[in-house]
Amino acid sequence: MYPPKFGYVIPDTIDEAVSFLKEHEDAKPLAGGHSLIPMLKLRIIRPSYLVEIRRLKELQYVRKEGGYYQIGALTTHYDVVKAGIPLLSDTAARIADPQVRNVGTIGGSVAHSDPAADYQAALIVMDSSVVVYGPKGSRTVNFADFVKDVFTPDLKQGELITEIKVRDFSGYRWAYKKLERKAGDFAIVGVAVLAKKDGDKVTDLRIGLTAVSNKGVRAMEAEKVLIDRTPTEDLIERAAETVMKSIEPPSDLRASSEYRKRAAKVLTRRALTELLR
Amino acid sequence: MKVVGPEEKVKITLKVNGNVHEVEVEPRRLLVHVLRDLGYKSVRVGCDTSHCGACTVMLNGRSVKSCTVLAVEADGAEILTLEGLTKDGKLHPIQEAFTEHHALQCGYCTSGMIIQAYWLLNENANPSEEEIREGISGNLCRCTGYQNIVTAIKAAAQKMRA
Repeated sequence: MYPPKFGYVIPDTIDEAVSFLKEHEDAKPLAGGHSLIPMLKLRIIRPSYLVEIRRLKELQYVRKEGGYYQIGALTTHYDVVKAGIPLLSDTAARIADPQVRNVGTIGGSVAHSDPAADYQAALIVMDSSVVVYGPKGSRTVNFADFVKDVFTPDLKQGELITEIKVRDFSGYRWAYKKLERKAGDFAIVGVAVLAKKDGDKVTDLRIGLTAVSNKGVRAMEAEKVLIDRTPTEDLIERAAETVMKSIEPPSDLRASSEYRKRAAKVLTRRALTELLR
Repeated sequence: MKVVGPEEKVKITLKVNGNVHEVEVEPRRLLVHVLRDLGYKSVRVGCDTSHCGACTVMLNGRSVKSCTVLAVEADGAEILTLEGLTKDGKLHPIQEAFTEHHALQCGYCTSGMIIQAYWLLNENANPSEEEIREGISGNLCRCTGYQNIVTAIKAAAQKMRA
């Protein structure tokens, strides 16, 4: 499979990239390319130009400041894994396979907004935000609002993601449970959980899911079942049941809606049991 | 800023196994095809969809699937293919271990598998069986059932640590 013909731009700065993208409506930024290049090969898209932002060093960093991690958009999944960020690093470690993680970037994944992307489950529970830079300067959007729909990020032509921000959940316990058809595949269902206990009591609980909707979802009703309570097997079962009832997953070639619902319940129960019991 | 038009070619430099190549490519050319055209035939096109890993090469110290990298993205990069592992006709310890432990049958996945093992052992000199299996999870082999590949990588790790 060969990609269609396109022009290629290597900008020296973010501003050059932004102004070229703004002036060329059908140009696309190229980060790690591990969603974009397959789409080109399948001829799903035919951009006039690719703007190679991949090598812009100023967008490759992980910093910790004021209780938040700031992650440059072009940080690879490999580097996110190495950064030791609660929940997010363990989630990144489950993306695809090592070679893909060596190249794919967190900003690229968020911009692609695949409803089954692993990051969606974690980011939706981490008080995350997305820093967007464009011709009119910089703006920050809550992650929950940034992903508007399937493959639909809140990005206008000429805008780029420059940073992902997540809260530092040190002091919490966490787990990312992923059910996949085969090694390296997208999730059939993915469940990310952050939990904090004080003595026997659950003081905070966050449950995020991927691949069950048009974007990552947070199961707040299910969280309430356990917050301020002492977790018992019964309560965990009830919380898992609540997750199942709160979602209406799509059916596709990976799994039926009904199967996804049940899988979400099982994965939630496993995560909660591991973290709370 | 460098702009290459849709009908234009671009001159790139690739350093493959220490050899410097200057080639003119269309921006849409994939790295795997350019490497094969340069004679590095160990780099294989398998699934062509970034699943199977037969096209795995080292690019600036990290293993990548060269069917999902544009050649122009690799401009100026250092690339290592299987051909580069053999030094003065002597096999690399990973290659030796693959031979000794019968870690291949048809051989199509082998070059990618060995390059991935090379990356894995750079990252982790003493991987557990589970870490080896995770480390080669992006490389598919339809013949061996992986058992002998895992054994070979474990043996190579031991040899390389000695």
